[in-house]
Amino acid sequence: MLTIIKNTFREALAKKIFIGYYIFYAIVVILMLFAVNLDTVEGVISMTDVKQSVNLVEKGFLDISWALIVFFSLVSTASFIPSMLEKGTIDLLISKPVSRFTILLSKYLGAVLFMFLSMVFLLGSIWLILSAKSGYWDFQFLIAIPLITLAFAVMYSINVFIGLTTQSTIISILVNFFLIFVLCPILSIREGLIFTFVKNTGVQFVFNFLYWVFPKPGEIKDITSSILVGKKIDFWSTSINMEAGDFTASWMALITSLIFCIALFSYSTYYFSKKDY
Amino acid sequence: MSLIETKNLSKEYSSRFSKQKVNALNDFTFTANEGEIFGLLGPNGAGKTTLIKILLAITFQTSGSAKIFGMDVKSHKWKNKVGYLPENHKFPNYLTGEQVLSYYGRLSGLKNAGELNKKIDEYLETMGLTKWRKTKIKKYSKGMMQKLGLAQSMLSNPDLIFLDEPTDGVDPIGRKEIRDILTNLRAKGKTIFLNSHLLSEVEMICDRVAILNKGDLIKEGSVDDLTRKFLHLTKKQVLVKMKYKPNPERRILIKLLMFYVPIKLI
Repeated sequence: MLTIIKNTFREALAKKIFIGYYIFYAIVVILMLFAVNLDTVEGVISMTDVKQSVNLVEKGFLDISWALIVFFSLVSTASFIPSMLEKGTIDLLISKPVSRFTILLSKYLGAVLFMFLSMVFLLGSIWLILSAKSGYWDFQFLIAIPLITLAFAVMYSINVFIGLTTQSTIISILVNFFLIFVLCPILSIREGLIFTFVKNTGVQFVFNFLYWVFPKPGEIKDITSSILVGKKIDFWSTSINMEAGDFTASWMALITSLIFCIALFSYSTYYFSKKDY
Repeated sequence: MSLIETKNLSKEYSSRFSKQKVNALNDFTFTANEGEIFGLLGPNGAGKTTLIKILLAITFQTSGSAKIFGMDVKSHKWKNKVGYLPENHKFPNYLTGEQVLSYYGRLSGLKNAGELNKKIDEYLETMGLTKWRKTKIKKYSKGMMQKLGLAQSMLSNPDLIFLDEPTDGVDPIGRKEIRDILTNLRAKGKTIFLNSHLLSEVEMICDRVAILNKGDLIKEGSVDDLTRKFLHLTKKQVLVKMKYKPNPERRILIKLLMFYVPIKLI
């Protein structure tokens, strides 16, 4: 398993798109280094204000970049499964004394681990800069690293499934774009927006059903933001107050997303184990 | 001892969207023994690659059974004793020659780094690729890729090696070197399952040959047995046999043999 994970890393590093991302991440970090000024020297700003300012910057950064980071990471890893399934490559892999389940799981974990290390670099650097500049070491911000990786892992299970069934990188990218930027946001605000106009209980049921079935990368970001600002997180359901511009995140959004990921990956494993190559 | 045994092995491909079915293999029954080089001959679409893929559990049979080392092919426990070189193999092109062998060597079960490095040195030397070991394989020629593929298939010292068109794209000198390597492997008691469209290659090194056509096993036996019947014939006699439409088996056999059997001139 480690051999395939290591090779997945090599594959990622060999792709110029990853080099481009790391250069972009480095630019973001450098901008943070010079653009953010949080000075407590000589009592210019009180510690409470510094804490709030840091939280504001952290939350603002996550709000702006979360979906983009997850989406572009999915774009850059979308070709891993289709390239593994090419004739002449898959034959050789399956002929080795490694089970098909191990091959697929290793590829998946390799991509997730690569994402995790990328986030350690990006978010870890931002945290260091903000903490060093402000003097306020907000360790809670570091929770964003595993949570954004989790959001990626959930969405990447869709890449794996589409890669196995269609062997197409483009379809994986298009489906993820649709989910992250269209369907999931619409489903998350269905109560405040759609149900205001659509009163039919049957249609509402369908929307609710889709919401609970599909993954919720946006809600995972909301959970992260809530932890950062010390806001209460409900267990069962999210709620949005459109007038006040306020929201309450829920743990159930994370749990159902994980269930979706496990179920889809399990089916992908079954499909891969039965397929002729 | 029979290393490979198949019994009534069949494979049917069907399309999801149409009712059309293709019989890639029909009731294929044969055995391959330890310490021999077994050749597969046949035109394109005969079922040669399908047979190899079923034996390696890359594809699954529709019916029948297949065993390697006495174990069902669907179990992957025997795969550490097997090497494979697929036709048109593709290695990750971001790797160097050395990294390719290291990667597939580890997947084959060679976990000891010292032993693996020693084998990599040995096989790169044997294939004449030592000075290219640190070069990315995207710069390799077809012949070099083929030699690297062959090295990869032998790295774990397997008892059984499947080679699908091993000399494809290799120059005549390279082909001779590969034939010598295969002959040496047989002398060491290894079993080689060779799929090649080059009849001269098959004739030179194979102990036994199976001829396939459209999924059917047409003939099986030693190269001598298969050719002895026709060696005494003149070209005219062979053509006469074909003109009077012999049964399909003889027709295919004659066509294949005409390419390399030294038939006497009229």
